[in-house]
Amino acid sequence: MTQRQVRILAVGLAFVLLPPLLNRVTAGWDFPIVGRTFAFTDLRALTLGIGVCFAVAAISLNLLMGYAGQISLGHAALLGVGAYASGAVTARAFEAPWIVGMIVAGVAGGAVAFLLGLPALRLRGLYLAIVTVGFGFLVQDSLFLWEPLSGGSAGLELPRPRAGTFIFSRDADYLVLALLVLLLVWVVDTNVLRTKLGRAFHGIREDESVAQSFGVDVTRYKLLAFVVSGVMAGLAGGLLGHLVTFVNSDTFRYEVSLSLVVMVVVGGLGHRAGVVIAALFFAALPRIFVFLKGYDQLVGAILLMDLMSRHPGGLSAAFREARERRAVRKARTAEQDDEEEDTALPKLPSLPRPDGLPARPDVAVGKALLEVRGVSVHFGGVQALDEASLDVPAGSVVGLIGPNGAGKSTLFNVISGFVRPDAGTMRFLGTDIHGLPPFERSRLGIGRTFQLIGLATNLSVLENFLLAQHIVAGYGVGSALGHLPKAARVERQLVERSKLAIEALGFERFTDTPVRNLSHGQKRLVELGCALVTAPELLLLDEPSAGMAPAAAENLAVRLGELRDELGRTVLLIEHNIPLVLDVCDYIYVLNFGQILAHGTTEEIARQPEVLAAYFGEAVTPDKVGV
Amino acid sequence: MGPTLVAGVVAGGIYGLLAVGIVLVYKGSRVLNFAQGELGTFALFVAWWFIDRNDFPWVAGAVLGVGASVAIALSFERLVVRRMVDASRLSVAVATVGLFLFLIALEAFVFSEALVVLGPPISGLGPKVFDFYVGPTSILSLVAVVAIAFGLAAFLRRTDFGLGVLAASQDPTMVRLVGVRLSRVSAFTWALAGGLGAVAALLIEPTIGVFAPGFMTQFFIRGLAAALLGGLTSLPGAFVGGLGVGLVEAFVGRAFVQSGVPGVRTMTVFALLVIVLLVRPAGLLGKTAR
Repeated sequence: MTQRQVRILAVGLAFVLLPPLLNRVTAGWDFPIVGRTFAFTDLRALTLGIGVCFAVAAISLNLLMGYAGQISLGHAALLGVGAYASGAVTARAFEAPWIVGMIVAGVAGGAVAFLLGLPALRLRGLYLAIVTVGFGFLVQDSLFLWEPLSGGSAGLELPRPRAGTFIFSRDADYLVLALLVLLLVWVVDTNVLRTKLGRAFHGIREDESVAQSFGVDVTRYKLLAFVVSGVMAGLAGGLLGHLVTFVNSDTFRYEVSLSLVVMVVVGGLGHRAGVVIAALFFAALPRIFVFLKGYDQLVGAILLMDLMSRHPGGLSAAFREARERRAVRKARTAEQDDEEEDTALPKLPSLPRPDGLPARPDVAVGKALLEVRGVSVHFGGVQALDEASLDVPAGSVVGLIGPNGAGKSTLFNVISGFVRPDAGTMRFLGTDIHGLPPFERSRLGIGRTFQLIGLATNLSVLENFLLAQHIVAGYGVGSALGHLPKAARVERQLVERSKLAIEALGFERFTDTPVRNLSHGQKRLVELGCALVTAPELLLLDEPSAGMAPAAAENLAVRLGELRDELGRTVLLIEHNIPLVLDVCDYIYVLNFGQILAHGTTEEIARQPEVLAAYFGEAVTPDKVGV
Repeated sequence: MGPTLVAGVVAGGIYGLLAVGIVLVYKGSRVLNFAQGELGTFALFVAWWFIDRNDFPWVAGAVLGVGASVAIALSFERLVVRRMVDASRLSVAVATVGLFLFLIALEAFVFSEALVVLGPPISGLGPKVFDFYVGPTSILSLVAVVAIAFGLAAFLRRTDFGLGVLAASQDPTMVRLVGVRLSRVSAFTWALAGGLGAVAALLIEPTIGVFAPGFMTQFFIRGLAAALLGGLTSLPGAFVGGLGVGLVEAFVGRAFVQSGVPGVRTMTVFALLVIVLLVRPAGLLGKTAR
């Protein structure tokens, strides 16, 4: 443990022990003249305690919605599962200690969240949202009322924890435990964000295809997001149950799920601190507005609508905007330095193969690295690919050209696993890759770029490079959640490697810039860099020069040549920029209407008239003009 | 058998109305309106205040209730939704949660926190069909649902503005280019949502007889299921989904009502929903997006 961590821990512990102290010290601080008490009473501790429970729940929902982009409108049910599970083991029948109850609550929450996550593998957005509404209703309306399972409508009593003869019966004392759980969940949530877990979640939120192309097993990480969130929700529920000591199905109404969503959005989707503040505020709201006497809910609802219509990004976005406005004002007064976008032609990162990848068989230069045989794909009535075959020899740059709609990108999608062909076989490095999902192909060493930029555009350049190295982040989930030394070490290596790659591109000043703020050409280069950072055996490039300045496209040709000649890499290239193709490719395939129209060395293709006709349209020569 | 069928069809038609409200707003603003059900409860309270407290005739109270609900929906569209054109849709959905909470608070504050009683519009047993009676409220519901369904379909398909509403969800830019004002489309869908919620609430309340703030939530959930079953963007689908939910719920409820398992109807509705979505992720009549 570093000195800093020790300090943080000490401050945290002192903070946690504050409530009981305050409770005892301030007892009797009543000021009859003002007509109110300033003591930290048990009632105030209870309010704060409920706020802490909801803060834990809000962190849980924020992980799922803010990080992984999966909406849950039934989160209160997970809280309920935690409370009932803990109640079942700590109640009279077993009398298990509180800590056991909490563990059981977390496990139960995680297990039920796993089930809730299963539909999320097929459903998205609103569909998923409504299914989770149904789930929440189902659990609340049915399971929590079912006599043999939960004690029925009579509800369930949960004991306060005890240590020896001491019982945490005072709310201020229980607050210590609640704050400890909040601290734990906060730390775990931080660890999620600074390891591959958070990046994989973000990748899924941004674009599942992109995440897959970077080797993220989307199924696994989606379920993981649900399970981690479920464990936290279970803890929150258990915590709340033992605080209020009595729960029934009404405690975990559908409205509670909605309020949790409100807290997360009001606090700012993905912003932990904002979300926790929003949760504490919501719990305290009725007591803050006590002077409003009956108007409090009305005022709260109006505030919510007003806040949303003024600041749709929530509190944290509102603060950020204010900060940015101030910064802009300051910058206006300071001297402007308008720097033209530099025209220096960057190099592509040429990094050696990273550690931690599965062993790959060496393929001699010139032998086929990828063999595609008789691949057919149809979309409805459209035959996108018709018995297409091609070979990509190791250590070469192979071009794939053809008019729009010829099936080039479909062939890429078949090779990288996003489209399952109706017929045909594919071998990569001598193994059959036919049934493998995209992320497995990425692990095997097939990297790709997309026709429309394949990056997580809301993440920074550095974060994209880190996400791109997902397959080499060789540490387990447990190691990540605890941020154990192994995870920390690997993360440092990944950052180092990313920085090298960014340096090669000459993009140091964009390291922390969100990708969406870059120009199109810059995005292209970042995408190329990300595809290269794990040194894939085969690189599929889908129109890399599209949107680049002519000079940059020429530079690209030089760089691709270097990749082949100096690093022995293999590239399959879709390109409309024919000079670039003729310049850099060793071998060319021409695709039209889903069929390979012709193939041959660059010189051969350049001479074939039917190829040029397919590509540039029928040449109009005088003898063809009707006479 | 007969009464269950009638109950299922009547409830299904009403769920269909709620589903249409959800679908229209979703088409117009790409937003899930969490207040869809509660707009109806608010209308019920207004109607109750006039009918029960001030001895207005049922029809007059009902019309005033519908008007109040439409007014609230329109104001919300004008004051909140329209200011959030560029906001993320989740934020707008959270704003509708705000409306939902606002309506509950307003009902409790202005009218009553506790259960109130509102009698059926027409009393009596109703005509006898085969060997059972079909209640007058059921007949009223059927007539109203069929009239609204066909009226709405005619309006949306036969008038230029109606076609504009349907097209706006698919290509807003094109719709603007041919001269339809998107702000009017949005206002129209919200007003209709308010009206449909109110009618649904007025029709379903007599089957229970009492209500309180939050009353419509249980039916809103079923409306959601119906909208999703139908494919979320399809208006006929919303009615098909509503009938599906209503019938399955009625028959399963009848079969298992003795089992003692609570919430068996909710369970069935969502089991149905999940099964349908897993087989057809775009819903029964939804268009598969690629």
